[in-house]
Amino acid sequence: MEDVLRVLGVSRTFGPQVALADVSFDVRPGRMTGFIGANGAGKTTAMRIILGVLAPDTGRVELGGRPLTLPMRARFGYMPEERGLYPKMKIAEQLVYLGRVHGLTAATARRRTAELLDRFHLAERSDDLLQTLSLGNQQRVQVAAALVHDPTLLVLDEPFSGLDPLAMDAMGDHLRERAGAGVPVLFSSHQLELVERLCDDVVIIHDGQVVAAGEASGLRAESAGHRIRVRVEPETGGSPDPAAILTGVRGATLHSQQGEVMVIDLADDADDQAVLAAAQRHGTVREFAPVVPTLAEIFREVVR
Amino acid sequence: MSAGAAGTAEQRLSAGTAVRVVAGREITVKLRDKAFIGSTIFLLLIVTAATVLPVLLSQQTPRVRVAVQGPAAEQVIELAAELGRDAQVAEDSTPPQVALLGVGGLPGADISSVDVEPGVQIERLLRDEDVSAALVGDSLTDLRMIGLQSVSSELEVLVRAAASELAVAQTAADAGLSAQEVAALTQPAPLTVDLLDARPEGSMPPELLVLIFAFLFYISVLTFGMAIAQSVVEEKQSRVVELLVAGMPVRWLLAGKVVGNTLMAVGQVVVIVGAGVLGATIAGQGQLVRQVVGASGWFVLFFVLGFIMLACLWAVAGSLASRVEDLNSTTVVMQVLVIVPFFAAIFAMEPGPVQEALSYIPFTAPLLMPARIVLGTVEAWEPYVAAGVVLLTAVAFVALGAKLYAGSVLHTSGRLKAAQAWRGAG
Repeated sequence: MEDVLRVLGVSRTFGPQVALADVSFDVRPGRMTGFIGANGAGKTTAMRIILGVLAPDTGRVELGGRPLTLPMRARFGYMPEERGLYPKMKIAEQLVYLGRVHGLTAATARRRTAELLDRFHLAERSDDLLQTLSLGNQQRVQVAAALVHDPTLLVLDEPFSGLDPLAMDAMGDHLRERAGAGVPVLFSSHQLELVERLCDDVVIIHDGQVVAAGEASGLRAESAGHRIRVRVEPETGGSPDPAAILTGVRGATLHSQQGEVMVIDLADDADDQAVLAAAQRHGTVREFAPVVPTLAEIFREVVR
Repeated sequence: MSAGAAGTAEQRLSAGTAVRVVAGREITVKLRDKAFIGSTIFLLLIVTAATVLPVLLSQQTPRVRVAVQGPAAEQVIELAAELGRDAQVAEDSTPPQVALLGVGGLPGADISSVDVEPGVQIERLLRDEDVSAALVGDSLTDLRMIGLQSVSSELEVLVRAAASELAVAQTAADAGLSAQEVAALTQPAPLTVDLLDARPEGSMPPELLVLIFAFLFYISVLTFGMAIAQSVVEEKQSRVVELLVAGMPVRWLLAGKVVGNTLMAVGQVVVIVGAGVLGATIAGQGQLVRQVVGASGWFVLFFVLGFIMLACLWAVAGSLASRVEDLNSTTVVMQVLVIVPFFAAIFAMEPGPVQEALSYIPFTAPLLMPARIVLGTVEAWEPYVAAGVVLLTAVAFVALGAKLYAGSVLHTSGRLKAAQAWRGAG
């Protein structure tokens, strides 16, 4: 079960429009992978291709080194972006039905449904029609639908959209728990702080191309070093004068300044030690540290 | 559930199971659908009424109370009452339709009479609804029947018969004929009718039987075809189809829908025809029952083939729409494909080359080939050939339907044209 899902060189066009161009990334077991990208970047298309709902023009998807087959895909759990359940069907019945569609026996499907409804505090609503539930509860049923067949991989398109903060926490816990059980979890979201908090790995997609992929902390560390935060107490008192410090330091520009604190961007060939020396000539350096960017900052940077 | 190898084995979905599960849902949804239950009950009532009511009506002997004034009138009514009684006795052994005209073609009736003195206002009696008719007359030559708005036809026939019998008897007696001669005149030997190719008495005309089956087919294909289209577009509109297609191939999903709705359509027809047969059995129309059961074999076979032939195309009509509101426009072609053959079949009810040709065209064959079997205008091999034609067309349409359905069912934004669905599938 501990298999890596591997998307390999997948391309897909819709008419003249290129939705995905040579997209490759991994979703590792036991980890949460956040899938970020602007609207129309190709997230949903990529997810649909993983699920086999769409076929790629070229490229392939593998799980544990084997190309995906229908029985393998039938064991994936999927939550489409536009929620998909029968509005006029009782919630327990539709979970049992979806479980059976994914290959559970009737008895197992019923047992799993009862367990999930119990966990999501929906047991007493079992016989209610989906359309009579609040949006938050409908969303929970949707999650239950993705989990009912005990999936070997979870692909969730915007699972957090439309949830209140408490429901978001609960959803995050569920996903973490699934990942903890060794299931690879891939989910897309526009809430980058949330992705940063929850995810081990990140895939950033832009205009149908993967622009960054890998461990979230690694990505952030990699982007670090291009920006430093310097706090200087000038000998003359007051605020430091960035122009005086940075003149003559190659590749260093001021990003922002707040009192004694300056945030300085460094070009690739810039020497941070030259900045330090210049600052020391100007006054007492109290703080000198690389700025680790947030995911949101990295995202804005790479998709610019 | 223990995740791992055991789970994988258990979770392998076979095509058979998938189709059964999808079909099961279609059936459950249908069985809870109030419109479906309502229409089934309505059809049941119609069929029951059509088989049982005529029998009940024909078995009811009309009762009439007649005011009588004058000696001739008295005499005539007496004889008419006797004829009416005799006609009823004869009824039991005759089938209902024929029994309406009892012995010698006379209707049964219970006639009672009230003698009215001369001078009493007969109009008053009629208006008070004391009597339903009056017969006035001192001699047979000036008999007058008076009614309010109408006179019961049974009474009129019986009175006429009685009056003429008496008149003949009187004239004959005046002419000096013997009693036997008088009897020969008034009660001539009944005409015997010999039919060379007799249709069993008590059966319905085959044209009517054909019409009933054609109508059932038409109603079923239209309602269940629409149900398939609706079920498809519902899944499309609610996006649930994405979840389903992630779990099973599109073709299995389509097969499940078609199987489920075909079972329901055939089931409904069987229930309705069964109710009719049961009603007819209870009403004592054994002959009619044998006729219907004998004909229904071919009807049901052609019904199933004809339904499946169109079912996948109905699914395509559903998948070309993206919202329920679009269904009206995407199903127009299908409605035409059902309605036109239905009327063509009705207009081609007369045996002839047109009927023969239409009984081999896939769309009209399900209606007209069984019709020709019932009408008795087919060679033994003909139904098999027509069934083969329909079957082959069904296979072609199922393949076409599956391709178009696969090409359009995941396209959720806006209406599609069939050509786009074809390209989408490619």
